[in-house]
Amino acid sequence: MQRSRRRERLLTHLALLAVAGVTLTPYLWLLSTSLKERTAVFTPTPEWLPWPVRLQNYLDVFGMAPFGLFLVNTLLVVTGILAVQLVTITLAAYVFARRRFRGDTVLFFLFLLQMMIPIHATFVPNFLTLRALDLLNTRLAMMLPFFASGYGTFLLRQTFKQIPRDLEDAAVIDGCSGLRFLWHVLIPLAKPMLVAFGLISLVSHWNDYLWPLIVTDTPDVRTLTIGLGMFVQQESGADWTLLMAATAYVTAPLMVIFLLFQRKFIESFMLSGLKG
Amino acid sequence: MPRSNPDPALAKAAPLTRPRVAAAAAPRLAARLRGLSPYGYLLPSLVFLTVFTYGPLLVAFTLSLFRWNVLTPRPVFVGLKNYLQMLGDPLFWLVMRNNLFYALGTIPVTMALGLLLALLVNARGLRGKGFYRVALFHPTMIPMVAAGMLWVWLFNPGIGLVNYYLGFLGVGKIEWLYDRHWALPAIILMSIWKHFGYFMLIFLAGLQNIPGELYEAAGLEGAGAWHQFRFITFPLLAPATLFVFLVSIISSFQVFDQVYVMTQGGPADQTNVLIFYIYQHAFRFWDLGMGSTLTVTFVALLLASVALLYRTFGRRVYYAAE
Repeated sequence: MQRSRRRERLLTHLALLAVAGVTLTPYLWLLSTSLKERTAVFTPTPEWLPWPVRLQNYLDVFGMAPFGLFLVNTLLVVTGILAVQLVTITLAAYVFARRRFRGDTVLFFLFLLQMMIPIHATFVPNFLTLRALDLLNTRLAMMLPFFASGYGTFLLRQTFKQIPRDLEDAAVIDGCSGLRFLWHVLIPLAKPMLVAFGLISLVSHWNDYLWPLIVTDTPDVRTLTIGLGMFVQQESGADWTLLMAATAYVTAPLMVIFLLFQRKFIESFMLSGLKG
Repeated sequence: MPRSNPDPALAKAAPLTRPRVAAAAAPRLAARLRGLSPYGYLLPSLVFLTVFTYGPLLVAFTLSLFRWNVLTPRPVFVGLKNYLQMLGDPLFWLVMRNNLFYALGTIPVTMALGLLLALLVNARGLRGKGFYRVALFHPTMIPMVAAGMLWVWLFNPGIGLVNYYLGFLGVGKIEWLYDRHWALPAIILMSIWKHFGYFMLIFLAGLQNIPGELYEAAGLEGAGAWHQFRFITFPLLAPATLFVFLVSIISSFQVFDQVYVMTQGGPADQTNVLIFYIYQHAFRFWDLGMGSTLTVTFVALLLASVALLYRTFGRRVYYAAE
C-alpha cells in the first residue's frame, strides 16, 4: 500500500514536470534568444545558454522605438480604466446587493448580459462615437469603452451579499448609512475581491490590442502591445535577437510583478471563476 | 448582533464614530443622494453601458442595413442586401470554417488539459505545488501579441525550436505559418499553450470547494479512484466546468491578436477568422456597412452558442450544485 502510494506520487511528479517543462520552454527560449549575438541564433542545434551574453540588445531596442513612452502610456491607460471601474462597480454592486427597487431585475440582467457581449461587437460604432467627439488618438479613447464592468459588478455584488445584513442595521443606528456605510464598512470587508478584480482588470487591459490599434495612429499615445506590433512590422524577421528583446521588454513588467506576488495573483484568478 | 459585542472584523474595518464629524458638513448632500438612490448609484455604470455597449449594438444593427463604404460616402439604405452579399461570399464561409476548426481544436484540449493538471496539482501533500502552478499559469500573464511574436520565432521552419524537437519524434520539417494546411494548427497549438493554465486554476478552485469528507466516506464504502472521480469530483465540478466551457467558447469566437501578429489571416485566408475579417472590412477597406453586418452576425452567433450551452448543460449544473 505504502509503496504503491509512493509510486503514484512519483508518477504525478513526472507528469507535472513534463508538462511544466514544455510550458516553460517558450519563455525561457525567448530570454535566451534576447541575450544572444545577432548571428548566434543560426545554429543547427539550439544553444540554450547565450554566449557571449549581449545585454546591449535591450538598449538597442530602446533606441529603435520609444518603449519607455509606451510603458508610461500603458500604465496610464490601465490605471485609468481601473480607477473608474472601481467607482462604477462598487456603486452598482452596492444597490444590487442591498436594495429592492423598480426594475432591479431587468437592470441587473443588463449588467450580466454585458459579460456575454464581446467588446469587439462595439468597435465600429464606438470608433464613430469617438471620432464625433474628436477623441481619436488619445489615451482616453483607449479607456472609455471599459469604464463600466458587468463582470466586476457581478463579482462584487456576490461579495457584498455575503456580508451580514445586521451589520448595516447596526451601522444605520450609529448614523452611518448609504455612501458612508459603503465606504467605511462594505469596501474594507470586500477588499480581497476588489484586489482580485483589480489584478484581473490590470492584466487584461495590459494585454489589450485591437481596440488601441483602431483608435490610435501616432507613437506618442500608443501602448506597449501596439508598440511591439509596429516594431515587428518594421523589423519583419530581420533580427530575432532584437525582436525577442523587445518582446521580453513588453512582457517583463507583468511577469516580474506576477513572480513577486504569485500567491495573490493565483488566488485572484481562482476567485474570478467562482459563481455565487 | 448584540451591540455590546461588536463584530471584530467590523471594528477593525470601520471606526463608526468618525463619519459623524463629516456628517455635519454635508447633510444636504447626503439627503439628496438618498433621494436619488438607488438609480443614482447605478447612473455612472448605466451611462457607460448605454453609450459604449448597448447603444453601439443598436447602431451596428442599423448600419448593417446601409451601404456605407469608400464608394458610397453617405449611408444608403439597402435593407438586407449586405446580409445576402455576406452569405454569397465564399470567403465568409471559409472564415466560418476556420473559426469552427479553431474552436474544435482548442476547446476540448484546453479543457481536458486544465482538468487533468488541476487533478494532479491538487493531490494531497504534493510538494512543489507553488512551482507547478506558476509554471503552468505563467502564459496567462504574457500579452497575446507578445506570445504571438514568440511563437513566430518558435515556428520558424529553418531554426525554430518546434521543428527541431519534433525532429526527434521523426516528424519531418514543417513550414507551419507558411503552409496553408499547418498555419491554423500552429495558431491552435499556441493558443492551447496560452489558455490551459487559467482553466487549470478555475478547476483547482472548484476542486477546493468539494468537501473532503465525501471522499473519506466514499473510500470507506470501497469506491475506487475512478468511481470517486465519476460520482463525486466530476458532478461537483460542474459549475467550474460550465464556466470554463463558456469562457472558452467566447474566447474562441474572439480570436484575433495571434492571427494579426502571426499570419495576418494568411496564407490564402486559411487563418482568417471572424474578428479579423470584420477588422479588414471595417478598418482596412473602410466598408462600415459590411463591417456592421458581420458584427451583428458575430454577436448573434455568439449569443446563440451561449444560449445553446445553457439549454444543454445549465439546468443539469444547477441541480448538481444544489
